[in-house]
Amino acid sequence: MRRLVILLVLYAVMGGVFVLGGIEAGTPTLMLFGFLILGAYSVGELVKPLGIPKIVGYLVAGVLFGPPGLGYVSKPVLAELNAVSNLAIALIAFLAGAELQMSEIKARGAAIMKMVSVELVLTFASVTAVMVALRGLLPFMAQAPMSEAIAFSMLFAAVAVVHSPAVTMALLTETRANGPVARYTLGVVLVMDVAVVLIFSLVLAAARSLVPPAGDDGGVQIGAVVWEIGGSVIVGAVLGAGIAAYLRFISRELFIFGLLVALLGAEVARILHVETLLTLLVAGFVAENAGGGRGAELRHALERAAAPVFVVFFALSGAKIDPRTVLPLWTIVVPVVLVRMAGIWSGMQLGGRWARLDPSIPQRAWMGLVSQAGVAIGLATVVADVYPERGGQLRALLLATIAINETIGPILFRLGLKRAGELTEGG
Amino acid sequence: MTTPLLLILVAALAFLATHVAYEWLAKRLLIVSGAEYLILGVLLGPQVTGLFTPAAIEAFQPIAILGIGWMGITAALPLRLQRLVRIPAVHYRLALVEAIATLALVTAGAVSALHVAFEVDVAMALAPALCLGAIAVASTPAGLDVAYGDQRNDSRRRAPVLLQIEVANGMDAFLSVLAFGIMIAMMHVAAPVMIRALTTTEWVVVTLGIGAVGGTLFHLFLGNERSPDRLFISLGGAVILTSGAAAYLNLSPTLAAFVMGVILVNSLRHTGPVEEVLRGAERPLYYVLLLLAGASWAPASNVVWWLVIIHYVVLRTLAKLWGTGIVTWLNGAQSEVGLDWGRALIGQGRLTIALALDYSRRGLPYGDVIFTCAAVSVVFTEFFAARFVRSVAAPLVAPLETLSATTEAVVGTVTETMTHAIPGFLRQERGESRPDSESRSDSHSIAHSVSHSDSPSDDGAR
Repeated sequence: MRRLVILLVLYAVMGGVFVLGGIEAGTPTLMLFGFLILGAYSVGELVKPLGIPKIVGYLVAGVLFGPPGLGYVSKPVLAELNAVSNLAIALIAFLAGAELQMSEIKARGAAIMKMVSVELVLTFASVTAVMVALRGLLPFMAQAPMSEAIAFSMLFAAVAVVHSPAVTMALLTETRANGPVARYTLGVVLVMDVAVVLIFSLVLAAARSLVPPAGDDGGVQIGAVVWEIGGSVIVGAVLGAGIAAYLRFISRELFIFGLLVALLGAEVARILHVETLLTLLVAGFVAENAGGGRGAELRHALERAAAPVFVVFFALSGAKIDPRTVLPLWTIVVPVVLVRMAGIWSGMQLGGRWARLDPSIPQRAWMGLVSQAGVAIGLATVVADVYPERGGQLRALLLATIAINETIGPILFRLGLKRAGELTEGG
Repeated sequence: MTTPLLLILVAALAFLATHVAYEWLAKRLLIVSGAEYLILGVLLGPQVTGLFTPAAIEAFQPIAILGIGWMGITAALPLRLQRLVRIPAVHYRLALVEAIATLALVTAGAVSALHVAFEVDVAMALAPALCLGAIAVASTPAGLDVAYGDQRNDSRRRAPVLLQIEVANGMDAFLSVLAFGIMIAMMHVAAPVMIRALTTTEWVVVTLGIGAVGGTLFHLFLGNERSPDRLFISLGGAVILTSGAAAYLNLSPTLAAFVMGVILVNSLRHTGPVEEVLRGAERPLYYVLLLLAGASWAPASNVVWWLVIIHYVVLRTLAKLWGTGIVTWLNGAQSEVGLDWGRALIGQGRLTIALALDYSRRGLPYGDVIFTCAAVSVVFTEFFAARFVRSVAAPLVAPLETLSATTEAVVGTVTETMTHAIPGFLRQERGESRPDSESRSDSHSIAHSVSHSDSPSDDGAR
């Protein structure tokens, strides 16, 4: 109740400030940033007693205060706050990498690889099939030749197989879950994140040769893909080595240091045209495993730094969801979401059996793989850039699917952790 | 170089400055570090190397506003009423007269200097001169912190002269922020809001209201929350919201955040964790502010400018030195605090830069001149702030320290003798039946807790 009152007071205060501002007022970005932190945090706390993860509350706050809702956080403000989203992605990737210890990779690596490969194949194939089957409902694919329908369906599926490291990390940080289901889910999400760069690039290259975009020579940019992956590993390893040296010899003020590292990594990755997520993931992994045992301190400091960043990141993600675009597409989105979930579930069951895991682990871990967020949105934008007209419609469909997965994914993951008995008291 | 990369470098420099240079310089050379980053900012800025382009400086405005607000809220942290009421009234009397004297003298001097140098009407020069006067009142508490420890529970900080300097620092901050905030409200562009344009008084009330709502909201938000993570999120959000709202309305973020700080330190039961979060970010943000201030500084070689600046430095120094001397003599307090404690207030620092940057970024009249006055003052005085404090306080604190050491030695000797003469003396004294080692550790912890009894966080607990 107190949170609700605070939220209403916040809303009233903002309304008053906007009225007082008039035409002579300055830019509201900083104010709205603060408002978003407090507002989203309040909604997160409001939904927590209902057994819903706080990040879903942050997303709801974003929808509520964003352009489709009350409109306080307008599109230009969203664009100005994009830097915060980039920082969040970098921080999440670094944290995720720092979660991986060499001993754990040795112990679980083979099982994770088996689950990833089966899940990837099944999800990709099933989503491609359902898209081809439903092509009559899509205006841009209805009259297209089969080769084009297959190309766009594969592009859609290449984005659909992506999971969300952000949601996984945020929920693990929130619940402090650290059991086998949490560890296997994280492992699958991270490996898939690396694999998806390669898969998406290959599918895009295939789509280009099947359906050449306007003004495109249709050539496969293998060098760019190799650099994107190889360069990420090299840059990440160098960055990680620097961080490890800092941890070994200085190891002070890790909170600010961690934030700087995330910022620096993201910016360097952007300048060098390598994958931000993979770069920071590798940097986190190297820092954790070469930091002379000080990696845990940095991880704890970063978890603290990540808390407000998660709030804003998911609120901004929510603000980008437009329910008005999701509703008209429900006849396609609902089957796609269900088929994708079925693909993930069956992939994990078969992969788990192949790896001879305790069956209870894949039975719960699949629930942590439904979420989609920033990476998938980024890839959807790439599709729209390559195919401005039809890709734009495909992007709208992808965003509608991602919006559903982004909302139900955290709830499912929490349920999976709860069933596995891995939720702590506070979580 | 890209803007984000530049931001990272700025933050990295601030980080290094805070945790390497500051501590090293402060401990070994009794120097308050910081002003050099103003110079570094100038070197990085468009005036010299051009690494900081005007567009990049503009892009950093939200961070500058946040820094300005942050300096405001941290300036309010010492103003916990429970602690303030225990301080003898004479300290407030001396501090208030000193602050008002500085405001009046520098304002009068600035009006005449602007009138003569730029040939403007006295009425036109009054508002900028009052802003300069408000900036002149501020004095840095960093000198006292570096010279005598930054914990108010440090036993050395109980000497009357140090208490006087601490009270004067707080009073200077209060008057400076208040006067500056009122002046900004006065100079507010009178655009009609709904039916009519708001009056100056109404804008002042709006500024105070933003701070009050921010403080109250935060109080409601967390109450007695102590978890650093939750505090960090909500406190950061509240300061960003308050500073951002004030800046959006073209009001003073410093005053709004200051009011918020006053409400927080007086309404929360345990202020320790909040202070820790706020203090933790204060110094890095100050260095970022200095770098941005330096980069946006555009001093002119015009002789007339330097006339105003010299005027400012001389009058401010005179006000601090003579104002305190005269008022102390009139109150007959020279035996306790000495006649020259005003020297400890000559150093200017974070609040001065925050206010001056806030003024210059608005494009108000004589913004460059006023900013240059403040920047020159910080460059020439902040380095030596700790030495100023030490030179004033050492002659008065040394005898007290000697007395304290002698008392402790006597008490120690007597206790030891009694313990030898009467076995189990300490145990009987405390009515406990534990081994000596535990008794000794208890006596230590009791002494420790007594010595910490003045800490703000403990005030609430008690």
